Amino acid sequence: MLRESPLKDVVRAGRYGADKGAPGVTLSVVHPLSLVMVIARKGKAKAAKESLTAMRGATVMWAGPDQYYVKGAEAAALKKKLGDAASIIDQSHGRVMFRISGPKSRALLAKGTPVDLHADEFPIGKSAVTQMAHVGAHLTCTGKDDFELSVFRGFSESFWEWLTEQALEFGYQVN
Amino acid sequence: MGPGFRRDDDLGSNLIITCPHCGARPVEEFTFLGDAKPQRPTSNDPSSMEQWFDYVYLRDNPKGRIDEFAHHSGGCRAWLVVTRNTETHEVHGTVTAKDYAVRAKKSGR
Repeated sequence: MLRESPLKDVVRAGRYGADKGAPGVTLSVVHPLSLVMVIARKGKAKAAKESLTAMRGATVMWAGPDQYYVKGAEAAALKKKLGDAASIIDQSHGRVMFRISGPKSRALLAKGTPVDLHADEFPIGKSAVTQMAHVGAHLTCTGKDDFELSVFRGFSESFWEWLTEQALEFGYQVN
Repeated sequence: MGPGFRRDDDLGSNLIITCPHCGARPVEEFTFLGDAKPQRPTSNDPSSMEQWFDYVYLRDNPKGRIDEFAHHSGGCRAWLVVTRNTETHEVHGTVTAKDYAVRAKKSGR
């Protein structure tokens, strides 16, 4: 299936903002992307969680009570695997994911969200659903200073504008 | 401004609600529906119209503790019940609306 990024004419690779020393953050758009929402059906929360935990080759991220985002697995395969334990909604075209890394990534994200991003409170593998710049955002910590963040596709351009503006003071690299 | 009057910026900004799913979040992430106490009548019989009137229109306006429905609209989108103090804005606790309903059923309300 053709997957076209809504930001293909907006995001330009390069070095921006404060230019003393190494860039504080590195930003990129995760594309193409397969992102599927899985919502456990009534009374099936445990079964759905177990089947997701047993999955190989895909990343499962918490996205609310008995709800998950699965990255890197196609919706049809998930539907087959989970059967009637969960509802499967393909969000690959519905959401846009950004990767944010670098020593200033926490400082950058903290400008937009009330979530406590300290490594003790928000360790690798943890996800949060929150609002950033008035946009609903799903945030996951993927490494020491690495995050993945997804927003609704329609908000992606204005969110990108906000994100890059906030990153100016740290200096940022777009890949 | 009379005694006891608090400016707007003293009100919302200090309200931290601990969502059972997401942890501590500011009040801006929540949408409030109102008092969680009224129970929807189970009958549609005309004789129950008085109960319906109470359920739809009549609300207590307590000074002190109140249980209120809150939707974590800027987060996990779960329905919660927040117990807060209308006088001091202190938040006493938060449970999911589901747990609240189970508890209400058990206590025979």
